[in-house]
Amino acid sequence: MLSFLDKSRTIAPSGYNRFLVPPAALAVHLAIGQVYAFSTFNLPMTKLIGITQSAPDDWSLTQLGVIFSIAIAFLGISAAVCGRWVEEGGPRRAMFTAALCFSGGFLVSSLGIAQHNIWLIYLGYGVLGGCGLGIGYISPVSTLIKWFPDRPGMATGMAIMGFGGGALIGAPLSVMLMGYFKTATSLGVAETFITMGAVYFVFMMIGAVMVKLPPAGWAPEGYTPSVVAKKLVTSANVHADQAIRTRQFWLLWGVLCLNVTAGIGVLGQASPMIQEMFPGHITAAAAGGFVGLLSLFNMGGRFVWSSASDYLGRRNTYMIYFALGFVVYLMVPTTGQLGSVALFVAGFAIILSMYGGGFATVPAYLRDVFGTMHVGAIHGRLLTAWSTAGVLGPTLVNLIRQYQIDHGVPKAEAYSVTMYVMACLLAVGFVCNYLMSPVDERYHFRPSEEDRSKRDADSALRRA
Amino acid sequence: MTMRLIVLWALVGIPLIWGVSQTLANAMALFH
Repeated sequence: MLSFLDKSRTIAPSGYNRFLVPPAALAVHLAIGQVYAFSTFNLPMTKLIGITQSAPDDWSLTQLGVIFSIAIAFLGISAAVCGRWVEEGGPRRAMFTAALCFSGGFLVSSLGIAQHNIWLIYLGYGVLGGCGLGIGYISPVSTLIKWFPDRPGMATGMAIMGFGGGALIGAPLSVMLMGYFKTATSLGVAETFITMGAVYFVFMMIGAVMVKLPPAGWAPEGYTPSVVAKKLVTSANVHADQAIRTRQFWLLWGVLCLNVTAGIGVLGQASPMIQEMFPGHITAAAAGGFVGLLSLFNMGGRFVWSSASDYLGRRNTYMIYFALGFVVYLMVPTTGQLGSVALFVAGFAIILSMYGGGFATVPAYLRDVFGTMHVGAIHGRLLTAWSTAGVLGPTLVNLIRQYQIDHGVPKAEAYSVTMYVMACLLAVGFVCNYLMSPVDERYHFRPSEEDRSKRDADSALRRA
Repeated sequence: MTMRLIVLWALVGIPLIWGVSQTLANAMALFH
C-alpha cells in the first residue's frame, strides 16, 4: 500500500520539467518553517485557564519557551541520525515521514492543551514535531542538487528560503485561526493546533507526491560539467561516515555554528533590543514590525545570497558574510548613539540576510567539498551546529546584557559589548572559512571490488 | 506539464505572498 513511497517510484520520466521539483521542496519547507512563528502561541498559552489573564495554575513563559528549544534540539538530532536513512530511502518516504511527525506533533500537543498537560506538548510539538522538522529540512536537499548541477546554490536556496518564509505564513495564520475559534470560555488554541496539523499535513503531502528524482546519469540539456578545475569543487565523492573524520567537515561545522550564533542571538532579542536602544522612540508595535522585517531579510537572503554563491564561489560568499557582518556589528552601537533607527534597521537587515544566506549556501558548499553521493546525510550531521548555535547565541546575548546591566551600564548601551562579541565570533568564522581546503584523496569513496564486478556483469548483460 | 507547473508554483507562491504582505503591513509601524 505504501509502495508509492519507494525510491524506485520517484524516478522522473524522460522530459520531466525540473522546475516542478523546487515547489515540491518549498511545500515542505514552508510548512516546517512555522516553527519560527511558534512564539505567537506563547502569550495565549499562558492564559488557557484564566482566559483574560494568567491564573495561578496557568503555564509560565519560561515553561513554554522550552517547547521551541526542544523542537530545535530534535531538529538537529533527527537530521544527524536520519540523514543516511533519508538518502537511501529517497525524498518521498522522508517527506511523508516528516509530514506525519510534524502534523502528529500538532495533534498530540492539542491533546496536551485540552488536558492542560505541558509534558504532552513537549513530547508532541517538541520531540515528534522536532523530528518532523529535521527529516523535512534535509529531505529535498540532495534531490535538488541532483536536478540542478549547474545552479546548486539557487536550487537549495529556493527550498531553504521556504523555511524562512514559513514563519511569515505561520504567524498571521495562527493569529487568524485563534481569532476564529475563540469563544468566551476558550482561546481556541487547541482547535488552532488541530487545524494547522491538518492543513500542514495536506500541504506537505502535495510536496511528497510531486517530488521526483532524476534518472541515473541525467544532466540538464546543454550542461557540461566545468573542465576548468576549481580548487574547492571536487568531482569525487566522500562517504558520510568518512566525511565527519575530515578537517573540512569540522571547519564547516564551525563556519555554520558561528554564523548562526551571531544571527540567532539577535533575532531572539530583536524586539526588546530595539526598544531599549531607542527608548521613547520605538513602541511595542513598531518593534514587532522590526522583527517581521528581519524575518523578511532572513528569507530573502536565503535565496539571493545562495544564488549569488553559484557565481561568486562558496568560500568567497562566506568570506563576504563574515567580513561584512564583522564591520556591520562594529558599527551598530554607533547607530544607537547617533539615534538613527533607519541605520540600525539597515544594519540588522544586512546581518539577518547573511544569517539566512549561511543556512542556504551550506548544502552547495558541502556538495563542492564532499560530492553529491551523501550530501543529504552530511548536511544532516552538519545541522548539529545549528542546534548548538540555538543554545549558544541567545545565552550569550542574554548573559552579556545582564552582566552589563548588573554593573550599572544603562539599558540603551547594554548591547554594545554584545555586538563586539558577535563581531569577534564572525572573525573566528572568517578564519575557519579561510582554512578550508580540498578533502584529502584518501577519504574519497571508491566502489568496492564487489560493486565493481557486479557493475561489469550488469553492463555485459546489457551488451548481450 | 506547463499547467502543472503554474498550479504548483501558485500553490506555494500565494501563501508566501500573503505572508509577506501581512509582514510588510506590520513593519510599516516601524516608520510611523
